[in-house]
Amino acid sequence: MSGAGPAEVRKVPTYCYQCVAGPDLLTVRVEDGVPTEVEPNFGAEDIHPAHGRVCVKAFGLIHKTHNPNRVVTPMKRTNPKKGRHEDPGFVPISWDEALDMIGGKIKAAMDKGLVDESGFARIAASFGGGGTPTYYLGTFPAFLAALRHIDFSFGSGQGVKCYHSEHLYGEFWHRAFTVAADTPNCNYVVSFGSNVEASAGTCGVWRHADARERGIKRVQVEPHLSVTGAASGEWVAIKPKTDPAFMFAMLHVLVCEHPVEHLDVPFLKHRTAAPYLIGPNGFYLRHADSRKPLMWDAKANAPVTHDAADVDPALLGSFEVANCVEVGPDEQVWTHDRVVGETAHAKLVAHMRPHSPEWASAICDVPASTIRRVANEFLDHAQVGATVEIDGRTLPYRPVAVTLGKTVTNGWGGYECCWSRTLLATLVGGLEVPGGTLGTTVRLNRPATSRQLSAVPGPDGFMNYPMNPTDKDNWHRQPKSRSGYSTLVPLVANSAWSQALGPTHLAWMFQKEPPQGWPKPTYPDVWFMYRTNPAISFWDTPRLTETMADFPFLVSFAYTHDESNHMADVLLPDATDLESLQLIRIGGTKFIEQFWDHQGFALRQPVAAPPGECKDFTWIATQLAKRVGLLEAYNKAINRGAAGVELSVGNKNFALEPEKEHSVETIWDAVCRAASAEISGGEDSEGLDWYKEKGFRVTPMSRLDWYLYPTLADQGLRFEMPYQERLYRIGLELANRMHENDMHWWDTQLDEYQPFPVYHDVPGVWSKVLVKVGKDPKDYPFWLLTARSMQYAWGGNVGVQMIREVAMNVAGHNGVILNPRTAEALGIEEGDVIEVASHLRSVKGQAVLRQGIRPDTLLMIGQFGHWKTPLAKDFDTPSMNSLTPMELDLTDSTGSGADLVRVSVRKVKGGAQ
Amino acid sequence: MTKYVLVSDLRRCVGCQTCTAACKHANGTPPDVQWRKVLDIEVGEFPDVSRVFVPVGCMHCDEPPCQEVCPTTATFKRADGIVDIDYDKCIGCAYCVMACPYQARYKVDGPSWAYGEQTALEKQRPYDKRIGVAQKCTFCVDRIDEGVANGLTPGVDPAATPACVNSCPSAGLIFGDLDNPDSNVSKLLRENETFRMHEELGTGPNIYYLWERRS
Amino acid sequence: MSSVTQFRGVNPWRQTYWDGRAVGNFVGGGTGTGFLAIAAAAALAGAPARFLALVGLVFVGVGLTCVWLEIGRPWRALNVFLNPRTSWMSREALLAPVVFGLGGLAVLFDSTAALVAAAVVGLAFLYCQARILQAAKGIPAWRQKEIVPLVITSGLSEGFGIFLVAAPLLVESMPLWPSVLMLVVLGARFVALRAYVARIAGGAVPKASAKALLQVAPAVIYGGHLAPAVLLILGAALDQWAIAALAGLLAAFAGWWFKFAIIVKAAYTQGYAIQHTPARTPGYAGAGGHPGW
Repeated sequence: MSGAGPAEVRKVPTYCYQCVAGPDLLTVRVEDGVPTEVEPNFGAEDIHPAHGRVCVKAFGLIHKTHNPNRVVTPMKRTNPKKGRHEDPGFVPISWDEALDMIGGKIKAAMDKGLVDESGFARIAASFGGGGTPTYYLGTFPAFLAALRHIDFSFGSGQGVKCYHSEHLYGEFWHRAFTVAADTPNCNYVVSFGSNVEASAGTCGVWRHADARERGIKRVQVEPHLSVTGAASGEWVAIKPKTDPAFMFAMLHVLVCEHPVEHLDVPFLKHRTAAPYLIGPNGFYLRHADSRKPLMWDAKANAPVTHDAADVDPALLGSFEVANCVEVGPDEQVWTHDRVVGETAHAKLVAHMRPHSPEWASAICDVPASTIRRVANEFLDHAQVGATVEIDGRTLPYRPVAVTLGKTVTNGWGGYECCWSRTLLATLVGGLEVPGGTLGTTVRLNRPATSRQLSAVPGPDGFMNYPMNPTDKDNWHRQPKSRSGYSTLVPLVANSAWSQALGPTHLAWMFQKEPPQGWPKPTYPDVWFMYRTNPAISFWDTPRLTETMADFPFLVSFAYTHDESNHMADVLLPDATDLESLQLIRIGGTKFIEQFWDHQGFALRQPVAAPPGECKDFTWIATQLAKRVGLLEAYNKAINRGAAGVELSVGNKNFALEPEKEHSVETIWDAVCRAASAEISGGEDSEGLDWYKEKGFRVTPMSRLDWYLYPTLADQGLRFEMPYQERLYRIGLELANRMHENDMHWWDTQLDEYQPFPVYHDVPGVWSKVLVKVGKDPKDYPFWLLTARSMQYAWGGNVGVQMIREVAMNVAGHNGVILNPRTAEALGIEEGDVIEVASHLRSVKGQAVLRQGIRPDTLLMIGQFGHWKTPLAKDFDTPSMNSLTPMELDLTDSTGSGADLVRVSVRKVKGGAQ
Repeated sequence: MTKYVLVSDLRRCVGCQTCTAACKHANGTPPDVQWRKVLDIEVGEFPDVSRVFVPVGCMHCDEPPCQEVCPTTATFKRADGIVDIDYDKCIGCAYCVMACPYQARYKVDGPSWAYGEQTALEKQRPYDKRIGVAQKCTFCVDRIDEGVANGLTPGVDPAATPACVNSCPSAGLIFGDLDNPDSNVSKLLRENETFRMHEELGTGPNIYYLWERRS
Repeated sequence: MSSVTQFRGVNPWRQTYWDGRAVGNFVGGGTGTGFLAIAAAAALAGAPARFLALVGLVFVGVGLTCVWLEIGRPWRALNVFLNPRTSWMSREALLAPVVFGLGGLAVLFDSTAALVAAAVVGLAFLYCQARILQAAKGIPAWRQKEIVPLVITSGLSEGFGIFLVAAPLLVESMPLWPSVLMLVVLGARFVALRAYVARIAGGAVPKASAKALLQVAPAVIYGGHLAPAVLLILGAALDQWAIAALAGLLAAFAGWWFKFAIIVKAAYTQGYAIQHTPARTPGYAGAGGHPGW
């Protein structure tokens, strides 16, 4: 470098939470006031699971900050017509004008009543995927809390393509909003498309690299060789969406080809419902009086309730039981004087009998010998019977796990896969124990800060679960939001996250065509949008964009112009990642592989002054609260903990005066002091200045908190496996409710509520949709999939040049990946421009020939296809999102769909190479 | 004596390009100049395919072909093994670029800006001395020199260690002194199987690719 | 316009730093020194040294100017002399002023002796050019040992060919010996070229590089060797200088074209190779590969 060195150099600690695998801790080098370099925070080496490292996205923050394409003043739209091909005519305005305009709209909505005539909130908000915007929103959540009624059901902007079924079933079965292997202790992982090397952040990368060096074997089962497949011991190129068949066959091997003694019999008997007796109507046989489920005690040779002490429940067999009942939907009761009940495990064996590896082979296009070998390796590595001591407590040690990725855990087949995965772990006693299959965090259960505390006793010896009601008196006939999450999806519960985890695409679809019995669709009066770009990242994006253009008033917190805020009425420039202030919780166990030995707090702080008129989010929130007359409610929300920490800790009170307007620094100083008090048991009260210098503060936690098994064992609870009596019942109840109201359009989804998932032709669902719209499936012979780009995923960084530059080193960022054999058959060469078409429309891109993909599959990495975002609009990298339909037929009972679509492909013209 | 080498543990690397980005930060390289980058290589045919991520850059060769061909002596090899460039001497003939079998060298003819116009970052990190001349990875020689002068150990103390090594989220890049039998790199090479790229060309490259533990 | 990175990949790519200007140096230097060589012989046989030396020097000079235009820091060009210990480019550069000095004397004083001396040094210059390419280990198409005789014989062929074109301007009747010499160097280049092409076809270079070279090789072999040989014999038989000149032009053009192919079109980099795929599970390592080869 030339010239004299910088006059002043500082290193500022902060955090990066651009993706759900965060936060990671970093330092920013600032030369003469200019942020120039990101470095890991080496001070966090001993407390961070990835030793203070950050990934490439955090490095992009420097370039994100310096991007001259940023929106740096508030702007308003001058062209009332909205649409992709309309010029919004944005003109700069003052903050006063912008805030007055928004405040006026909100006040008008408040005056009308915050809920409209259809029962929907007049104010809606969408924040990007995985909840990551929360870590940049400052005190905006307090403002939303002050408003009270907000519709989040337009989703985070990505469609319901997250690990959706895993979120719902995972929380239900083992408080696992997301699921991970206990990587540091695991020796064998079967990963169905779980792309942890790209999606689990630095913690995942570090932990898995350690595991590989230690000797783990990971079998990656997926149609294309992802980054994670690359870093695995073995790749099995399965046909898309046939994972349930593979997993069913693994279950078959375990329960039909091995004697039960090879499984973890004590675990099955005492920590699961495997010994529960099932009656002729498909429900548990229950004690006539207590209505507790019955088991057969082999010791006494008599039926006993599930909670009876000193018993030896039979796992296999049918037993005659006298004087018992079955309880069905809507309190329907079958009374049995004498009836034969079969154990749930025996029923499972019978259920899995037809699903041999040979059966699965034809479906998955994987040799039966491979499936059988993987199943047996899984069992062999489980070390059934082994124990390990963790912090003085002896626990089962089962170093095997099954992990699932996107498109496996969501959409049709998600139930089968999540159930199979959880059951595979259960059969070997490997659920929530060291080495095994673990949940990471809770989002639907409460309290959100502790999986352990959320595991409280519920019915039938299982954990409680906050299902949305399906009984006649309490079912939400009137949807609570435009997606109808609490009406249609009992499992999604009713937490702050539930709206965003409902079937959010229905909110979009029903705007134009509401189904029978649904309220009249209404647009929200005001829609806030932050760190999300649904016009790019949803499904059927052109159709969604058209709908978005009809929204009356859209407020977008804007980093640059983009495809979604092209429809906005007001753009608000927030001070970005390195320019604003926020304290967050760190540590504990979090998605996806964030398993810490510490927990505490970290500060994000300005390392440089924001450009132009960009403002700290907390300032924006305070000003809006003031303008709409909610300052007191807003401050009180902060005091209650809406900024992450309750401001009264023990006898220490750092609460803000509710009536006053407080500066950004004052608010976060109070939060910092409360955090210090909380973490020190009320001893300390260091404020903002301390955190600015140190960056973070943590306290050790026991590794026992990684596992839920001790909590269940201590409470005598069982995992709700294998038989799904509860789901079966609520499904029947939900069907009753909907049919009573002449709503039959959800019947296919209602069929999914089965006590054991019933295999159906999952890939065939997509063919049926083609037939339904009058197309011949033969004309769309390929599957089109996507895969995560670690460089981009969740980052909102598509306009950052450096990210594009380095991402191009990873294959596929420049086009469409296809197998050379397929290409040869179609006369396509590397670099040729090809057209990929679904029944909706087509996109064009360069052919990228790779051996690591099935010949019947195409792959478009990430989510591109931009037409407005500066820089990104020049990429020419296609996206599958405009090709993927939004269809009720492609929506499962949890309300999710999957990122895949049937397509055709043809060469358009020769390429440059 | 000291001989700095880099070990790339191919078992650990996931191709995330964090090292690529860290290098760009530390060295202020212009768009599309990557002194460090990670390749995404496939070997084999479907379905028997391996995908391997391979960090590359200057190999700081024992017999650097770039140094041999350099007509100006701008490219030179230090006593500690680092191959460096005197930008004031280089005439920008690019002969060294042709001589390097690792595609590690770059030459840019003029300024180019990430976003088309010069940003505050690019003003703060001018690279005019490197315009029109050869450039490549220096193992962050300034950090090493300053660190060593302050009693730090390159490869152990972050302040004396190349930025790419510091940044790697898989700890897949390891830097150290091969002449020190107790160093991290010496230990790794003793305990594991490694290869070096294009060794048959007689360059004596000093990035060691670790591919398996020694049985 | 922002910088939008294009995909580079892992296969060998065509280097773009040495372009037509570098070709100019190899064409000018080769042709000029080849020309000086035959010009010296002609001068010894009585031809005017001054004009011949001037033509040769112009070729060499134009070539060196091309290089000067290509280097990134032209005003530091004199640093090129600093590494004669190992760099063939320094050696070439050091010989250049000698060639020009001696050639200049030949021009100034119409001195045959000076021209002969310039030609001898010119041959050394030509040898340096050949070794410059061979020392470029990063470009497989250049680093083959067969490149040295090829560049030397081609330089001679190009120079001799241009001499056949230029000679009628000097003398009224052309003797036979230049055509004979031309045939000899053409034959030598033919042998060198065949050896080089065999090496290329034998897998010594990346596939793309071999494709680029083998595409033009037949035309160069036939159009640049067999055709001029036939023309030379025909020209001699018919005593038609124009035919010999055409042969010379063809021979020179073929050399230039093939140099362009080698230096620009086929100048693919070495690419990357791994000897083993890593064991992501112990015991699961595999054989390596060399993409693009």
